[in-house]
Formats: sequence, C-alpha cells, structure tokens
Amino acid sequence: MGSVAALAVAGLSKRYGATVALRSLTMRIVPHEVHAVLGENGAGKSTLVKILSGAVQPNSGTIELAGQPYAPRTLLGARRAGISTAFQELSLLPNLSVAENLLLPRVSGTRFWPEAAGSITRRAEAVLKEWAVTDIDPVARVEALSLAERQRLEIVRALSHRPRLLILDEPTAALPDATWLFRQVRRLTETGVAVLYISHRLSEVRELCQRATVLRNGESIDTVDLAGVKDDQIFAMMVGRAPERAYPAPVAAAAGAETLIEARGLTTGRLRDVSLSLKSGEILGVAALEGQGQLELFRALGGVGTHEAGEVRYNGRPVALTSPRRALRAGDGIAYVPEERKTEGIFGGLTAAANMSLPQVPRIARGGLIHHRLDVAATRTAAEAVSLADRYFGFRVSDLSGGNQQKVVLARALMTRARCLVMFDPTRGVDVGTKQAIYTMMRGFVADGRAILVYSSELSELVHLCHRCLVIYGGRIVADVGRDRLTEEYLLAAAHGHGGAAPLRAAS
Amino acid sequence: MSLANPPLPARWRPIRLLTNGALLITGVYLILVVIYAATEASALSAYSIESLLNNSLPLMLAAAGQTFVILQGGFDLSVAGVISLANVIVAVVPVEGPWGALANFAMVVGIGLAVGAVNGLAVAYLRIQSIAATLATMMICKGISLLILQAPGGYVSEFMAYELTGSLFGQVSVAALIALAVALVWVVFRRTNTGLALFAVGRDANAAALSGINVRRTRFIAFCWAGVFYGAAGYMLAAQTSTGNPAAGDPFLLLCFAAVALGGTSFSGGAGGVIASLMGAATLMLMQKVLFSTGVSSFYTGVFQGTVMIVAVLLMTLVHMASRQRRAQR
Repeated sequence: MGSVAALAVAGLSKRYGATVALRSLTMRIVPHEVHAVLGENGAGKSTLVKILSGAVQPNSGTIELAGQPYAPRTLLGARRAGISTAFQELSLLPNLSVAENLLLPRVSGTRFWPEAAGSITRRAEAVLKEWAVTDIDPVARVEALSLAERQRLEIVRALSHRPRLLILDEPTAALPDATWLFRQVRRLTETGVAVLYISHRLSEVRELCQRATVLRNGESIDTVDLAGVKDDQIFAMMVGRAPERAYPAPVAAAAGAETLIEARGLTTGRLRDVSLSLKSGEILGVAALEGQGQLELFRALGGVGTHEAGEVRYNGRPVALTSPRRALRAGDGIAYVPEERKTEGIFGGLTAAANMSLPQVPRIARGGLIHHRLDVAATRTAAEAVSLADRYFGFRVSDLSGGNQQKVVLARALMTRARCLVMFDPTRGVDVGTKQAIYTMMRGFVADGRAILVYSSELSELVHLCHRCLVIYGGRIVADVGRDRLTEEYLLAAAHGHGGAAPLRAAS
Repeated sequence: MSLANPPLPARWRPIRLLTNGALLITGVYLILVVIYAATEASALSAYSIESLLNNSLPLMLAAAGQTFVILQGGFDLSVAGVISLANVIVAVVPVEGPWGALANFAMVVGIGLAVGAVNGLAVAYLRIQSIAATLATMMICKGISLLILQAPGGYVSEFMAYELTGSLFGQVSVAALIALAVALVWVVFRRTNTGLALFAVGRDANAAALSGINVRRTRFIAFCWAGVFYGAAGYMLAAQTSTGNPAAGDPFLLLCFAAVALGGTSFSGGAGGVIASLMGAATLMLMQKVLFSTGVSSFYTGVFQGTVMIVAVLLMTLVHMASRQRRAQR
C-alpha cells in the first residue's frame, strides 16, 4: 500500500454552531480497496459523507484525492473531481421518471432543442443495463417504485458517473439482497476504483471490505484489517467500552395474559383476510418479504390506512381505527411508529422536546398554554426509556442523527401512554447502540402488561426479540411461529411461501 | 440474512396524463362551452369568440407566469404590480405601427424581466421568503405606476388596439394564436434541463441539490419567466382596454392564483403545468360569460367561481387518490 492513496484525509473537523460533528478525522483509502467506515450514530459518518460529496465544507483539515488537494464546494465539483455518492436518505425526485433521475442534472443531452424522450429512455436503459438492473422500467415514475428499487436506482446513479472514489452510505438499508450490490462493487474495484462503504451490518462489511476505519465522537479511533479483528473488538472500539451481548434473551410472557388487539379478516390493498391477536406482555413479530401486505396491515392498525373488510376489536369491543388519533383512543390506546420517520414521523423544524410532547399538549397545558415544567418532566421520563440524552432536547430534530431521530419518534409514542405499540421496522438504518436502546425499551414496555406488534426486515432481530412471530406471504398469514421454533431459517422459508414445511438452508 | 425482492411493474400512464396534463380542466372548459352555446344564441359567432378570447388572454398570460413560480415552490405577488406598470407604460409611451407595437412589447417584457430578476435574486440568493419579497416588488411597481399615471388615461397605439385584438386574415383570433404560442413554448421548455429542474426543485429542493441541480439558478429563472409573462399580460390588457390604468393589475392578483389552482397545479410545488393554468384562466373567464348568459346576477360571479374551483380541486384529489390506490393494490 505504498502507492498514492485514492483518498487521504487528515485532521478533518466540522462544527455546526455549538455542535461538533467531526473533531479530527484521519484516514487513507488506496485504489482497488473497499474501505468501511464504522461508528455509532453521531460518530461523524454522515458529516464525512457530506464533506466528501461537496454538500458542506469542513472547518479545518486537508483532503487529498489521488495526491491532489481536494476541496469541493458543490456536488458537481465533487463529481468532476471523481467522487460520487449514493446517499443514505436517497436523493431521488419522486415526481420524475427513472430515466430523468438517472441522468440529472443533464437529462437532455442535446444543445439547442430538448432531446427526444425515446432517446433519453434509451440512454437510461443502457446505464441500467450496464449495471445489471433489468427489472426497473426507465419510464416509470420513481414514486411508483418500491424502496428497494429506489435504493438500487440511487446506487446505479452513483456508479454511472464513473467515479474514482465511490461513496456508499448505508446502501443496503432498504436492500433485501446485497448480492447485486456486491457484484457491482467488485466489478468497480477491479478497475482501480476505491470505495468508501458505510454500513451498520457488520457481516456485510466483513464480506465486502478489507479494512475499516472506526469513528467515535467525531474522531477516527483506528483503521484495522478486518481479517484480524473480532466483532467484539470492533464494537468495543465503536462504543469505547465492552459491548453488552447483542441480543439478551427475551423474558417469557406472563401467564394469564389478556387479549388486547384482535383483528379479524382484515383485507386491504395486498392484504387478504388477515386475523391476529395481540396479548398483553407479548412482543408479536411479523416477518415478510418486501411488499407482501405488511405495510398495509400496520398502517391499518395504526389508524393511518383504511381497510376494506374485516374488523378490529380491543378488549373484545369493536373499534374504528380511522385516524391515528382514533387509534390512540381505542381501548387503552394504540400508538403507531411509522416506517419513514423523515416524512411520516417527525417535525424537523421543531426541537426534540417539542416533537416528543406534541401529542401530549392537553396533559401538559394549563389554561390552554403549555406549562413548561410539566412539559420537561413528562418528556424526560419518555426520553429515559429510550436512552435519549437530555442534551438533545433543545436541538432541532432535523439536526439530530438518524438514530437519535428514531429515539425521538419512539419517545413520542411512549408519551401517548398507549398500551399497544405498532412498530414498522423501528431499527431500519440506525446504529448498534440505538438498536440496543430500542430493544431495551421494547422489553421494558411489555414487561408490565403492555404489548408490541413489530415488523422488522432483519430476521435475526425478530428471532431474538419476539415471543411469537407471524409470517405474511402474498397478503396472507402463512405461519404463526412460537418461541420454541423461532429460527431465521424457519422464518425465511415461510416468508418465501414454503409454509415452514421444509426449512431451507439460510439464503446467503 | 436477507429477503429477496419480487419485482413490480411500475407504469400507470393514463392517470398520469389526467393529473399531470390539462385534460381535466379542458373537459370542464368544454362543458362550459356547451352550456354557453345552449344559453346564448350568438355564443359561437366569430365576434363573440374573438371577444371571449381577448378578454381571457391577459389572465391566461398572468396565470402562465405564476405557474413557473408555483412549480418551483413559492408564490409571486408581483404579478399585480408588473401588470399595472406594463399597462401604464404602454399607454403613456405609445409607439405607432407594427414596429412600434413591437417596441412597446420589448419595453414591457424588459420591465417584467427586470422585476422577475429582482424577485429571483431576493428569493433564490438572498433567501427571502417569496411572499415577502414579491409583496415588496408589487408595492414598488404599483407605486411607480401611480407616479407615471395618477389616474386612468393615456392612449394605446392603434395597431395594438385593433390588430392585436382582431383576427389574422379575418379568420384566426390573434389572442388564440398567442395562447397557442405560450403553450408551445411550455411544451418545449418543460423538456429542457431547466424545465425538469423546476419540477425537481419544487418537489424536494434538497434531493434536487444532491442530484446535481443548481437550485438557486433554477428558482431565479422561474421568477424571470414569470416576470416576462406578467409584462406580456399587461401589454395585452392595454391592447384590449385601449387605455392605461395604474390599478389595472389589482384584480389579477387573486384571479391568477385561482386559475392556477383550477388547472390543478399543486401550490406545494413540483406538479402541474402551464397549459393547465392557461385553461384554468380561460375557464374562469368563460364562467363569467356563462353566468351572464344564463341570467345569474353578476353579484354571484365570485360565489360560482369559488365553488367551481373547490369542486375542480376536489376532483383532482380524487383522481390522485384513485391512482395511488391503484398503485398500492399492485
């Protein structure tokens, strides 16, 4: 590795007002290398990505790209210098077509007259084909695509700019199958391109990357050869202490539990005739391939979506879940934690504290005005349950890291004092530390007679967390798996429509 | 461990045509034409059609301009000021003959462009909210109009007053040709990179920036286009009224937003189009005629216009919801 580094960063720092996002970051990536950047939420990964992509400028430090000083001021500047990025929060425009998104900002390649639509489509098709994407229609609007398709499109767009350094920020967060991505990345590195890879999934990182730089609190702790370190050591570097076991065993559900939610024959969208019951003290999991109707189910129970047929009972009494507000008032309350926190769950412009206490206004107000002390007291209890540090209360939510945003969303759900939580993929795109905090919160929540219905795209999570797990396939519940039979292999087989009959080998 | 993703088909074009294009509002317009023809004997006479088009054109141009600003995600109140100013200038400095008309046109379009550029600078580069910035330029333009012409008066060149409101070869209304030209300009523009950028910025400025779009430049250009169209609207208004009025632009302020909404362009940006707004404006003006011909007191005009607007927007929302459900069901 004595050759010129593809990327050399030294002493990089970035402050936003009083917040230090990056303290001092030093790292080196050589050509042909896939280099992982690991760290908890707020460790500085996103800031690093933004600086390298030209979206923000650092306060100090130097960056060299292939031996040349590099200080991009715009995204296009970064692209010209040879860095392209697939962003975690996907930078696609839902109201434009796949082809247009792919070719932005120069969609029309001709000079005096707009290029013919057919010719644009053909160019886009060629790009998609070059990167082995054949199932996405270039004419389709991006808003009609699934999250996984959008993620691949975002990645293809970054690949298509023929970078010298490719940045992938959580590229598999919405990608159920990483095989395609890994193949493209390897193809790229063979030609001498360097890749900066950010992911929370350590197994993926081990499969793809050779070295990793670990960040903690905005500082680069060390760069390690992944072959030579164990997971525990990496976690220890990330958190600065020995980690707890990744998944503590679930507490057994108390005997004599009462049935809280009972749904019968729910039918809506892809969902066909689904019945389920949620008992107190229980974490009930839902496993499914993408787009099998689980989103409709969760939205219906959360009062966000409607259902065409079927009924929901709470404690035996029928309830109409026509809005989240009605859901909160149904029985002892059902609180919905939505999938896309950025668009569905949060007021980015308000402070964390205000976001958490918003549904609570009646309880913390005196004479129509918000009573500050009550507000703080109520907020603190909920924040403790999700281990959100007090110091974040005054921050605008849009300035918080993804994990902390999710904690705010969860704290708000807790503050509704609902007895049932309906959570859709609550750990998507959050780091290990936040995951632990969420698991702890969920266990504590059900321990005193409350209940959680949770969908997760990570099967290992369901296996370790749930007392029982339903599997949805083609809009129907195809398996109801008890604790004793709960394994990833079993769930995966059932999720592929094998009814749990013959357990498959775990898919790679 | 990961789960495979079953591919989904992702095309749903008829609905897209209906919501994105001007189909819905054109339908409403045609229904009104039928009612008008049924209730007014002379409705389909050449003179009647010509006068309807002449009446409609200034609002159509104003709405077309407003659409650019609304698409990028903002509001432009300067429309009232620019129309007044353009109207007054044409009436105070009339230049005779076709070249004179062209010179007048260049003047007002230049003024519109200048005001649009100021708006664009304020909003895109100084990051002033569009309502605040354009409110200020509206007031300034109205003030200047009053300085130039204190009360309605002045006169408009004969060429403008007669030729531009007449018909080409006694057959084709000039107003219709101008509207058609605007529609054609839009059809080409929306396919340019700047046109696409307009939709991108209006939908999600942050994602647009991360896609490499120059957001500030896009916003700036949108305001410039808008100013040009307002200037043209004031010019055509002068041709139609043959006089200058420093308050001529005032009624356009709210009506042009109504026209844009009627056309189905989203006030939150990123969806809609100029042709829909042209039709929206034409519909509003035709509605006035229809109400008159059916004997409804003119006091009710506002009530009807408002009601139709709500119905049209509701219809639009229903179509959108239907298309979304279609998608969800796949």
